[in-house]
Amino acid sequence: MKVNIHLNKRVAVIGAGLTPFRRRLLETPQEIAWEAASKALDEAGLELKDIDCVVIGSAPDAFDGVNLKGEYLSHGSGGIRKPVSRVYVGGATGVMTAIAGWYHVASGLCQKVLAVAEEKMSPDRPHPQAIFRYIWDPILEKPLNPNLIWIFAMEMHRYMATYGIKKEEIALVSVKNKRNAVNNPYAQLGSNITVEDVLKSEVLVWPVQLLDVSPVSDGGAAIVLASEDVARRYTDTPVWVEGVGWTLDNTEWPARDLSYARYVEFAARMAYKMAGIERPNKEIDVAEPYDPFDYKELHHLEALQLAKRGEAPKLLKEGVFDIDGDIPSSPSGGLLGVGNPIAAAGLMKVISIYWQLKGTAGKMQVKRPVHTGVAQAWGDLMQAGTVIVLRN
Amino acid sequence: MSWEKSGKEGSLLRWYDVMEAEKYEYTVGPAGEQFFNGLKQGKIVGSKCSKCGRIFVPARSYCEHCFVKIENYVEVNKDEAYVDSYTIIYNDDEGNKLAQPVFVALIRFLNVEGGLLCYAEGNVKVGAKAKITSFQWPLRVKVD
Repeated sequence: MKVNIHLNKRVAVIGAGLTPFRRRLLETPQEIAWEAASKALDEAGLELKDIDCVVIGSAPDAFDGVNLKGEYLSHGSGGIRKPVSRVYVGGATGVMTAIAGWYHVASGLCQKVLAVAEEKMSPDRPHPQAIFRYIWDPILEKPLNPNLIWIFAMEMHRYMATYGIKKEEIALVSVKNKRNAVNNPYAQLGSNITVEDVLKSEVLVWPVQLLDVSPVSDGGAAIVLASEDVARRYTDTPVWVEGVGWTLDNTEWPARDLSYARYVEFAARMAYKMAGIERPNKEIDVAEPYDPFDYKELHHLEALQLAKRGEAPKLLKEGVFDIDGDIPSSPSGGLLGVGNPIAAAGLMKVISIYWQLKGTAGKMQVKRPVHTGVAQAWGDLMQAGTVIVLRN
Repeated sequence: MSWEKSGKEGSLLRWYDVMEAEKYEYTVGPAGEQFFNGLKQGKIVGSKCSKCGRIFVPARSYCEHCFVKIENYVEVNKDEAYVDSYTIIYNDDEGNKLAQPVFVALIRFLNVEGGLLCYAEGNVKVGAKAKITSFQWPLRVKVD
């Protein structure tokens, strides 16, 4: 794959902030954005006046129930009287927010960028799933009233059928991530559960059960990106953005191969090429694949080239993706454990990798020394993949 | 598209639907709570930034200029309310003529950032003093 991208500046992450991820946070969306943004500035040692421009990421406006959410959030995101842009590629937004912040700096346009993602999933009634009613083709698919869980169920089933994977093997992702989340102070749903708990939980849309799914959540996340010369002035431990990738696969989901996430593979190849990574499974020390559903983490680990097709469940069972394994996956607890305020959840994945590489992940810190990490998100009409590679 | 011309409304050539969630339940936030609780007692509550000293109405929990948390809530002198601008509405948002035109005013307070949209009555003029007559939301003001 050839990508014509020309870099001007090297870019570092120098600060990050998260709010707790919770169902029904009392704060308004603007206040959630402010909390994350101000924490990120604090960690970077910058003030708002130092920031050249602001990037805001949020998934559909409809979640928060406010139209033009970029404008609405700009107030709390520090965007007043500054150049502000909003990115939106559905579930892939969180990592795209970091990528958009990156290209503002990499192009030479800005030196210091604040990238903020916020989502509040809890105001909608009866359920945020209702928001997804209108992402389908209005004529071919909408008359069946599908929701996202349907689609995931079909994808999960195809994945299981193609590679002969059992539900028990997939449930291990939920067990691992919720266990990792116990160590994450921001997490909503850390717990020690067993495969049996997952298999006994309520069936929502077969084969998807309640504990296969990430919880409805509110939250905010923010990072500060800076050009190399600036980063060196503010920190001794910059974490470099070494590669980014984003791609869009076929927008008709029935036309895609449901067993393999090609959209993530393309984005990953772009990011790896930029980062000079040739053997991802040997060179990546820690990963945060997007896991709104447990099988999705396995799907994405394969597309990120960290496991061969259909083999992620086997490696998972062997402990490769455990926090003390060869390639710890979702050490934060992922969306299954931390919560899933869509855009914020994606940026949380980037922040998790950043803290791991900086060595400030606290109880979440993986045991081995880590130098290269990858974070990934996925969404839109289930065909957008976004990948970012960080290195210390 | 051409097939639309040969289709009839409601026939299989078109689908009708309404695009929205059934409803939303918004939270006012901690600062919003201070503001709305203030209204219940007939007070206009703002918040004061400890760094730049600006007062915001309605109260909010952070200063957009200094980007610091605001925890200092202050009562704003409601006798200083004045009309910043106003408009007169003759049609409702479905285009129907209203029996009585409705006055909507943006009121502000001296040395305070922000403002409040209210229903207004009386001799509404730009710059005129406004007296808050109802603290039910949306507020109502009377201008002499």
